[in-house]
Amino acid sequence: MQKHSVLIVDDEPIVRESIGDWLKDAGYNVATAESGEKALEMIELQDFSVMVLDLRLPGKTGITVLKEVKAQRPWIKSIIITAYPSAGTASEATKLGAVDYLIKPFAPDDLEKLVRETLESLPAEPKALVEAEVRPKPPVVEAVEVRKSFVISRESLKSMVERLGEEMELVGVKARHGRYVYDKIAGFDELCLDYDVTVMPPTKYLLPAKETLLRFKVGDGSQGEPVITAEPRAIIGVHPYDIKAIELLDEAFVGANPDPNYIARRQNTIIMGVDCLNPSPKAFCPSMGTHLAETGFDLLLTDIGGDFMVTVGSEKGAELLAKYAQVREPTGDEVAKQKAVRDEALTKYQLSLDVPRETLPKLLEESYDDPYWETRSEPCLSCGSCVMVCPTCFCFDVQDEMALNLKEGERQRHWDGCMLVDFARVATGENFRHDKASRLRHRIYRKGKYVLERYGVVGCVGCGRCATACLADIASPLEVFNALAESARAKQAAIRAIREVSAGTELYAPRSAELVAVTELTPREKVFEFRFQDGKALGQRPGQFVEVSIPGVGEAPISISSSPTRDGTFQLAVRNVGNVTGALHGLQKGAIVGIRGPFGNGFPLEALEGKDILFVAGGIGLFPLRSLVQYVLDNRERFGRAVLLFGSRSPAERLFLDELAEWNQSPDIEFHETVDVGDGKWTGNVGVITTLMPKVDIDPRRTMAVVVGPPIMYRFVIGELRKKDLPDESIILSLERRMKCGVGKCGHCQINDVYVCQEGPVFSLAQLRRLREAV
Amino acid sequence: MKPKVAFFDFTCCEGCQLDSLNLDAGQVLDLLAAVDIVNFREVKTEREDNYDIAFVEGSITRESEIPRLQAIRDQAKVVVALGACACIGGVNCLKNHLPMKDALRIVYGDDAKYYDTIPARPIDAVVPVDYHVRGCPINTNELLKVVKALLLGKKPEIPNYPVCVECKMAGNVCVFERGMTCLGPVTRAGCDAICVTSGRYCWGCRGLVDDPNIDSEKDILQKYGLTVEQVVEKFKIYNSYAEVLK
Repeated sequence: MQKHSVLIVDDEPIVRESIGDWLKDAGYNVATAESGEKALEMIELQDFSVMVLDLRLPGKTGITVLKEVKAQRPWIKSIIITAYPSAGTASEATKLGAVDYLIKPFAPDDLEKLVRETLESLPAEPKALVEAEVRPKPPVVEAVEVRKSFVISRESLKSMVERLGEEMELVGVKARHGRYVYDKIAGFDELCLDYDVTVMPPTKYLLPAKETLLRFKVGDGSQGEPVITAEPRAIIGVHPYDIKAIELLDEAFVGANPDPNYIARRQNTIIMGVDCLNPSPKAFCPSMGTHLAETGFDLLLTDIGGDFMVTVGSEKGAELLAKYAQVREPTGDEVAKQKAVRDEALTKYQLSLDVPRETLPKLLEESYDDPYWETRSEPCLSCGSCVMVCPTCFCFDVQDEMALNLKEGERQRHWDGCMLVDFARVATGENFRHDKASRLRHRIYRKGKYVLERYGVVGCVGCGRCATACLADIASPLEVFNALAESARAKQAAIRAIREVSAGTELYAPRSAELVAVTELTPREKVFEFRFQDGKALGQRPGQFVEVSIPGVGEAPISISSSPTRDGTFQLAVRNVGNVTGALHGLQKGAIVGIRGPFGNGFPLEALEGKDILFVAGGIGLFPLRSLVQYVLDNRERFGRAVLLFGSRSPAERLFLDELAEWNQSPDIEFHETVDVGDGKWTGNVGVITTLMPKVDIDPRRTMAVVVGPPIMYRFVIGELRKKDLPDESIILSLERRMKCGVGKCGHCQINDVYVCQEGPVFSLAQLRRLREAV
Repeated sequence: MKPKVAFFDFTCCEGCQLDSLNLDAGQVLDLLAAVDIVNFREVKTEREDNYDIAFVEGSITRESEIPRLQAIRDQAKVVVALGACACIGGVNCLKNHLPMKDALRIVYGDDAKYYDTIPARPIDAVVPVDYHVRGCPINTNELLKVVKALLLGKKPEIPNYPVCVECKMAGNVCVFERGMTCLGPVTRAGCDAICVTSGRYCWGCRGLVDDPNIDSEKDILQKYGLTVEQVVEKFKIYNSYAEVLK
């Protein structure tokens, strides 16, 4: 086997010699050069597989050498070594095709490993450039393997695409009004494979703008049938950055709570990628590591002039090639050509990040309160264009659409986005992200931080669509990142395999529950008691919630008011504030509704056990808290002292009067109550809930406070609890948010990087300190 | 008891009422199974003054229209404004930029003395309105959506985001990239971006979103080549009455 040649370029003799010895020992041919000029001379005469290059050189600098080598011998892989690392030179060197970066001093093993890995990424014959010209072209291959690249002629590609079109729908890129769009195509000749970027990303074929989740008939007591449709389809010409975006969707929709609709479509979709050789002027893919893709496609094409290289990314892709195409092994020349066109494409990107992308989470973390968000978002139209065109945005809303006969209908989801004004608004009217600055910040945090931390893949693929779509010219994450620039370190990511996954069909399908009792608490509030028709228990933890579904009206998140220790039924106490709650209030005993859940984490029973518990409930905050109070009373021996403080606005708005009276009498719980404003008959305490605080003495070392109420109450109660020296770890809150889907997908309930429906709704104050949007 | 529905018109072209009828036969039957239409002069001559839901088209441009509208409000349990004229004043409000005398003279010439007029206004400037079906003309599907919501006793979900959202969903290339200018970024969606999808641009007939960034939209229109006067004219067509533009 031929030995690989490595060229070492460094002005310090000791470095040249030591590196040279290490690599010789490892079995490479080694040559050295003491300057850039000398290195370029040597490269003129002889080919190398790898160049190890110092950046600080007398005369021509390392960057200049890199540029010239890239122009002359683009297939030489360069590894940069320097004692003076900086983010600027790192990103410049990467742009010029350097494969990696080592900071002096480094261990021999590290360099050797890097050289080996670099060489392993090369095709079998390292430098066949000259000889390959005279060799006959390799014969047609018999066996097509995953991860390998082959050459396919334009004619063979055309016939493959057209035969594929006889079996499934073909979509691809076409020119329209001076831009490019994904659309159905009739044949290969309609396809554009050298476009820059499309208006909308191909993710619309996996998550369409609108789709039906359930179909139901009203009045027959059923909760609707899941609707999962997926026709076989091939998407042709997907750029690597969009392939990376699809890998993120896989992570979000196939990971926790597998989404049956997405998975069905994904499994019925063939992705035929194509390298992007003409990047859009607003793109910055190399900075995000998305200009090339090694995984996530079935086949990936590279236009090498006349013929195409085709890389096989999956078994399905291998089958397609074997069945429909004629391919052959590439010559060394063709391998070099593929690298050359990819490298040339790299030089065409006009924009780049000023800091390594790994530092973005830290950079953002430190920029939360920057006044920049305010000024940057000032011209924002809240038009949602940036999130609509984004391949990594996937949030949605869910609504019921009835037929005009009012007998049957559908539950549909459609695209929604966190830049739209009402995205985080809940039924009671509170909007948890009410200003432009916090919405822009949330979107940029998702792109640079939250998505990476949650799913392990980049949240922005650098396609530049949002920057193109934004009329106010503020959407580009790159501009925001660069404006906030600063350095830090972060972590790496893994890719999930899609083929083995199977989801049930029931993720969005509610179970039928019968309304067995209704009790009016006040004119606005009622308690509904349900039993599942299949007789099963809900199996909730105190503090969890369910999604209540009324076909034709919609779904709403409702906290569970009863403890799992009581009976085979469960109770939901509900204030009439919106469509679903309004409809619930109109129901009579015997009615059937749909229930999904329980969702969320619930109160931390393990942490509460053995402790004194101070319950603080404001208004309808008693609804979720009651489940825990009941639980504690039913397991009285497992908990210490129990104190309950309850505040209502007025005597008329007091809830659960029977239970209040019971608790007032009970030796098991100390009960204190107040109303904000009294009436003629009220003889109890008058004043806001904090006026009850002085009445209780607690031992801060053995007490946990569990607080549930409106957002405004939290601020004051927390202040009082801290005055009693209660640590933040011992203050437990339950938060209200717009939990539309309940399964960590739709995005409405997100607080910073946390999905309230998954990690919440119960948090300790210590956890919330990190979540600055929370209280 | 099926709710009784009545249609009324004030100053308008009655095009929205025509569009209300733009249903297929099955839809008409479903609709008639759900409601009694007791008053609709484009459909039937009989009239009844006992109704539950009033759909009101047109803006208010004469003194005499005010008591008539108030009477409708008194009778109906639910009043729905139908179309741009009723919802936002619409094109009728273009005359508000002139002295009323001049407006009368331009339209009626020597006969101007036989007519009276007041500055045009949407119906909710005169009486409380429960729901709005927007557009010039209305989108029939949206009208049905509102009717269905009323019958189900739920609040209709009308978008409070701009046309851009639906325009992107439709996969359109942005109007601004095609050498035209557009009011889509500040105009309430719900029309499925029909004008852009059909090759034109948004005129703003559905009125503005709740909290439009007018300053930014004006800057953008100027950046794309409109003069200050042209920007003002563009907003005037449908949105002369909007407070944020005054």
